[in-house]
Amino acid sequence: MSSRLFHMDGVRMSLGVDPQDQVSSEALVAVPVASTKEHGKSPSRIAFDRLRKDRMAIICACVVLFFVLVAVLAPLLCALEGQNYSDFHTELVDEFGFPTIGPNADHWFGVEPKTGRDLFAQWTYGARPSLVIAFVAAITSSVVGVVLGLTAGFLSGWVDRVISWVIDFVLSLPYLLVAIAAVPIVVGVAGGVNALSPQDNANIRFFVLIGVLVFFGWASLARLIRGEVISLREREFVAAAKVIGVPTRRVLFKELLPNLVAPIVISLSLALPAYIVAEAGLTFLGVGLIEPTPSWGQMIAKATTYYQADPLYLWLPVVGVSALTLALSWLGDSVRDAFDPKTRR
Amino acid sequence: MIRLKGTALIAAVAVIGLAACGTPSGNNKQAGGSSSDTIGGAQQKATDESAKGPAKDIDGAKKGGTMTVYAESTPSTFDPTNIYYTDGNQIAKLAFRTLTQFDIRNGKPVLVPDLAEDLGKVSADKLTWTFKLKKGIKYQDGTPVKAEDFAYAIKRSFAHDVFDAGPTYQLSYFKDADTYKGPYASGDTYSGVETPDDSTLVIHLKTPFPDLPYYGTFPMFTPIPKAKDTKQKYEQNPMTTGPYMWQSYNPGAELKLVKNPNWDASTDPVRHQYVDGWDFKWGGDAIKSQQQVLASQGPDAAAVEYDNVDSSVVPQLTGDKKAQLLQGDSPCTIVEQMDSRKIPLEVRKAIALAYNWDEMNKVSGNNSLTSAPASSILPPAVPGYTKFSVAGLTGTGQGDPAAAKAALQKAGKLGFQLSWYYSNDSQTSSQLTQARTKFLEAAGFKVKAIGVPKAQIRKYTGNYDSPVNMLFSPRGWCSDWPSGSSWFPVLFKTQSVKDGNSIGELMDPALDKKIDDISALPLDQQAGKWGALDQDILQTYVPALPFYYDKMAIVIGNKVGGAVGDPTQGLPVFTQMFVKS
Repeated sequence: MSSRLFHMDGVRMSLGVDPQDQVSSEALVAVPVASTKEHGKSPSRIAFDRLRKDRMAIICACVVLFFVLVAVLAPLLCALEGQNYSDFHTELVDEFGFPTIGPNADHWFGVEPKTGRDLFAQWTYGARPSLVIAFVAAITSSVVGVVLGLTAGFLSGWVDRVISWVIDFVLSLPYLLVAIAAVPIVVGVAGGVNALSPQDNANIRFFVLIGVLVFFGWASLARLIRGEVISLREREFVAAAKVIGVPTRRVLFKELLPNLVAPIVISLSLALPAYIVAEAGLTFLGVGLIEPTPSWGQMIAKATTYYQADPLYLWLPVVGVSALTLALSWLGDSVRDAFDPKTRR
Repeated sequence: MIRLKGTALIAAVAVIGLAACGTPSGNNKQAGGSSSDTIGGAQQKATDESAKGPAKDIDGAKKGGTMTVYAESTPSTFDPTNIYYTDGNQIAKLAFRTLTQFDIRNGKPVLVPDLAEDLGKVSADKLTWTFKLKKGIKYQDGTPVKAEDFAYAIKRSFAHDVFDAGPTYQLSYFKDADTYKGPYASGDTYSGVETPDDSTLVIHLKTPFPDLPYYGTFPMFTPIPKAKDTKQKYEQNPMTTGPYMWQSYNPGAELKLVKNPNWDASTDPVRHQYVDGWDFKWGGDAIKSQQQVLASQGPDAAAVEYDNVDSSVVPQLTGDKKAQLLQGDSPCTIVEQMDSRKIPLEVRKAIALAYNWDEMNKVSGNNSLTSAPASSILPPAVPGYTKFSVAGLTGTGQGDPAAAKAALQKAGKLGFQLSWYYSNDSQTSSQLTQARTKFLEAAGFKVKAIGVPKAQIRKYTGNYDSPVNMLFSPRGWCSDWPSGSSWFPVLFKTQSVKDGNSIGELMDPALDKKIDDISALPLDQQAGKWGALDQDILQTYVPALPFYYDKMAIVIGNKVGGAVGDPTQGLPVFTQMFVKS
């Protein structure tokens, strides 16, 4: 049976409940909890119930789901339209590269200047890098951050010192400079320029981008978790577990980790929009993804020069990035509120 | 926590942007400035042996200010012996004075003496040229320029293994060029140059070279003292005789120049020293830099972007901004090269059939301001140009992949692999590569395109031993002087491959002889023959696909004064520019 702490200030402590033990737990409750309906639920369960009742959160979750569907179903959507993202249609642009058509039945969002590529296909496929990189980077950096933070906080001593030093080092590195320098270094190590096709190049950049975001992202979460763990490990239930002889791994994952769900989920939901913006920003600077991978960041970079004559070209990726980021940010906010028991509803 | 009030409106943003109706092409009302229909008058050979310094003052010129110059295309060297690209050459004129130089008068180039007193005197047998040198010229550190420094610079140009990108006329025309390999390998004694006294330079030739005074405008003729020659490091801090000297050079990124206190204006008939300093910045995205220069905010008001103006920027050239477009002639033809050593003739003809020129032009951002489709090697600006058209090599049309595939099959080469280098961090280069890949693959070829950073592309494309078979440099050629003799002997002889300046990597002794025969003719008989040879080469050998003739159309900041185009380079004349107040 594992112990859970409901409130960090330690005012109330009730032993957690195993669903099969409903009967015996009632006798152990010292003070009745606010509503008997919530009696018997874990904090995460309570938080998710709150989320479900929050209209804002549902809307935001739907928006995010919409974009995820667009990205996942991109090939299907493009097949419906009958275009793909790499075919050039230069007969649809004039001498100066400006499209001679607007959105029409063949090209739902029109075409790109100069190359004449279909914008709907570019937009739907462009959602993929943003989402994939953001989710992969966020989850990876969270996992790394949590593991290292747990280890550093719990084990203390030289392990803690080493990990803390690494965290400080990573946080002090200049993020943009390293991001810019990383790509040519990895390309060189991967076999040099002659050995790599454009697709290889694009793949390398994809992974380097994720790598850079993870490299810089895990440190702040690790620091946060470490702080929480340090304050938790002095608690009696942890001491009790140690005394009984529970192995360290079980103490970490079964005793401490459940109490850390709140900061982890919150950090994850706040990291996602940050990574989306970071990917778009790096790609805009020319450091991230390049041709021929379609991505919103590249669309924004190219569209700024055509804005006066072709505003749709800019608004498409901007609305995409903005809506997704906004939805994720608000969702993160709602998640934070749902987990915080002090928030009035 | 955010409470969503019923009327929270997020969509305000969308309203503004979608106000413009109609197609983007229709919104582009001011498409194009005035495009000159003529490519530019033929270059005249004009000389003025009596020109003396100081150069005539420009109306309204003021001293002071710093000029910033942007370009995406990056010069790979500033060693004067190694400079051969037009951008390096044009920038070098600010710092390196040479035997002779071009003075641009009313937009036309006139050859005048620079560090020489005259335009050279040739002996009766045409094999000895004597240049009298000006006295009292100093380097930027105050040390005097000696005649032996001119001789040393010429000797240095024979070290073609070290300076492999430089011009190579001396290797063909100068005496003992086959045996002398430069001062590092063959020592200081070279019979091709002589300095009988401290103000005379004598050059000995093995075959007549009537255009030598024009060749004297090249940076390789700037004096270099032997004691200061640090070989590959020389470009970090070279000895300069022009109005500006080196402040700092970051290869591939930035060059800063400041005033040279030891430049004497009264000896220089060509240059001015209006601006306090120059800041050249390379590698930035061309379109973005052009937008910056057009907007002319802050230091960008005294800035120039010398890549040709991109189509997307052209609609902004209205009203006041029309004056910020500088147009001029350019003596250049751009081609798509194929390596004849690796690609057989029938395959080259099939490639010509497959090319979709309309797509290439649109994706390159070419428009009537900046280019005209090419159908020959010589551009119309060079005397000797003849108008002809070889089927499939007109730089126009959408190509015929089916016909190309049929031709390939007939030659039994279906699936032939084509490969080239491109700049993967340049949007235009990447998109051009995608365009080529598409129509070449549709024509039954296999394509392998290798991406390299744009700061290094010239290194890869300049190496004829690279494992690719298309698009080596030179990607185009600009007339070194107004004659076919600066095209064909340089680009199409067997020796061109060794010199690194070949178009098509042709190595045919019969063609070498045809070229030598025409070179031996008197100058007035050469022009027509070069035109005929042009057609002959394209039809018989198909070494390259003519893409377009260049025109100069660049944007300058609204405080830039004195800007005119140099028709010998297709770039602005930096030495005449000043910053308006």
